[in-house]
Amino acid sequence: MRSRTPQIVAFGGGGFSMEKDGSLLDDYVLSLTARARPRVCFLPTASGDADHYVVRFYRRFSPDCEPSHVSLFRRDQGTGGIEKDLEGHLLAQDLIYVGGGSVVSMLGAWRAHGLDAVLRRAWRKGIVLCGPSAGSLCWFREALSEFHGSSTRVRGLGLLPYSNCVHYDAEPARRAEYHRFVGDGMRAGFAAEDGVALHFHGTGLEHVVSSRPGAFAYHVEPGNDGVVEARLDAAYLEAGDPAWDRTPAGACHETLPVPEFAATALTREEPIGA
Amino acid sequence: MNGPIVAPMDDRLVFAMGGGGFAMEPTNPLLDEYVLGLARSTEPRVLFLPTASGDTTGQINAFRARFVDRTCVPEHLSLFRLRDAKRPLRETVLSQDIIYVGGGSMRNLLAIWQAHGLDRLLLEAWRRGTVLAGLSAGAMCWFAGGVTCSSGRPASIEGLGLLDGSLTVHADGEPERLPAWLAGVRDGILPGGWALDDGVGLLFRGRRPERLVSSRPGAGALRADAIAGELVRHRLEPELLGTGHQAGLGGVDEAVQELRRVRLMRRGITGEEG
Repeated sequence: MRSRTPQIVAFGGGGFSMEKDGSLLDDYVLSLTARARPRVCFLPTASGDADHYVVRFYRRFSPDCEPSHVSLFRRDQGTGGIEKDLEGHLLAQDLIYVGGGSVVSMLGAWRAHGLDAVLRRAWRKGIVLCGPSAGSLCWFREALSEFHGSSTRVRGLGLLPYSNCVHYDAEPARRAEYHRFVGDGMRAGFAAEDGVALHFHGTGLEHVVSSRPGAFAYHVEPGNDGVVEARLDAAYLEAGDPAWDRTPAGACHETLPVPEFAATALTREEPIGA
Repeated sequence: MNGPIVAPMDDRLVFAMGGGGFAMEPTNPLLDEYVLGLARSTEPRVLFLPTASGDTTGQINAFRARFVDRTCVPEHLSLFRLRDAKRPLRETVLSQDIIYVGGGSMRNLLAIWQAHGLDRLLLEAWRRGTVLAGLSAGAMCWFAGGVTCSSGRPASIEGLGLLDGSLTVHADGEPERLPAWLAGVRDGILPGGWALDDGVGLLFRGRRPERLVSSRPGAGALRADAIAGELVRHRLEPELLGTGHQAGLGGVDEAVQELRRVRLMRRGITGEEG
């Protein structure tokens, strides 16, 4: 087995579950596997293993992949999911795709079945991990989640030593809440708008890509004078662009305008005050 | 909600069903009516927790269908869709007369409750005298231990431990559980306890088993203990509900009958059909 760089692609929202057509973010993560027919396993845990979500996954990934899913709620019911050797199955994948929903419920169920440890191993092994929403929050040390209207600080798996906030543009309160939490001691981290994905190599941010033009990700950290937010430009993944037509990751690097994650790449800095 | 913060032991009721109720007996309301009768309130607030199923729409719809036309205030709490919740968890859980827990994966149920802190809230609700009811995973969870198929084959699992002893469910409907439970009790992995057939419910007052009832003729229960390394079992005969001689607990009093008549009339007046 060749050793590969651990990779996580964390969507602020988007992919097959949210975008009506295109799902350019899905094409992007598939391209990272550098395989003609990648093995893709779906974990719909955060939705309570909702049937309609599983069906949509197969609809999207069956034509070009070897798709499978793991249902932690129906392990004894023979509903087509992987039931026996979860670890062996997950560690044989090219891509593990985590669906959206409740990140707290998902992490609880994962721990009860030992999937937290399996996913850590999968990551170290170089299996690409991705997902929108809860499927993004879970990889980080800390995450901002929302319950009954008020935000909550949630501990994730901690593969990425940052905090994370998703759907950053969906509600105006999101930004203020994230800033408030970072100001109150939550670690520095990344926020992504719907349709924007943060692509990490190891624990370093390598690319920011987007399925719609004019969308952004942000780096948010505590500063001397309040919280500092820096906007990160996202590379728009245009539909039908041959560069994104299932090209191996190596080739992608050539064509992407890579936003270096360093002080020079920050396009905007604004201390958050009044 | 208006009761004392700590109810006397005799006012704490748990009703554990081996299977049955709205989720399994769509045309037989006997067990669910019995559950309603356990509340001291004439129009009890009933909270359904479908967590063990992953909050499936099927379970939620079956719950609504069963309770919407009865003299009660039904509500469900989905831990996978907390975004839709109108009140904080604590308020929702502690303002009920009855909490009814559905079946599914006991491992996931307990892990997700723990992740949300619901295990502690349910213990508090029980101490306050809220009736706790449930079937299958939702029945075993209250005991020291049970038998789950959450990971495929039947295996012993620890419960919340509100009630001493162990419980196994679907003793007739899923016969593969019974040997796993008996072996667990014999080997001292599980404390002695009860095996309930589908349609059988065991009522606890405080920590004492008080009444064994059933919704179907022929359904039964078993008590098993390990005594000096030997399994000692005896068969228990439940009282068949709906045979007209329900005295005391579970009976529907005049005031409730009256309320139901008023409700039906009100519906008639608003012109609702069917």
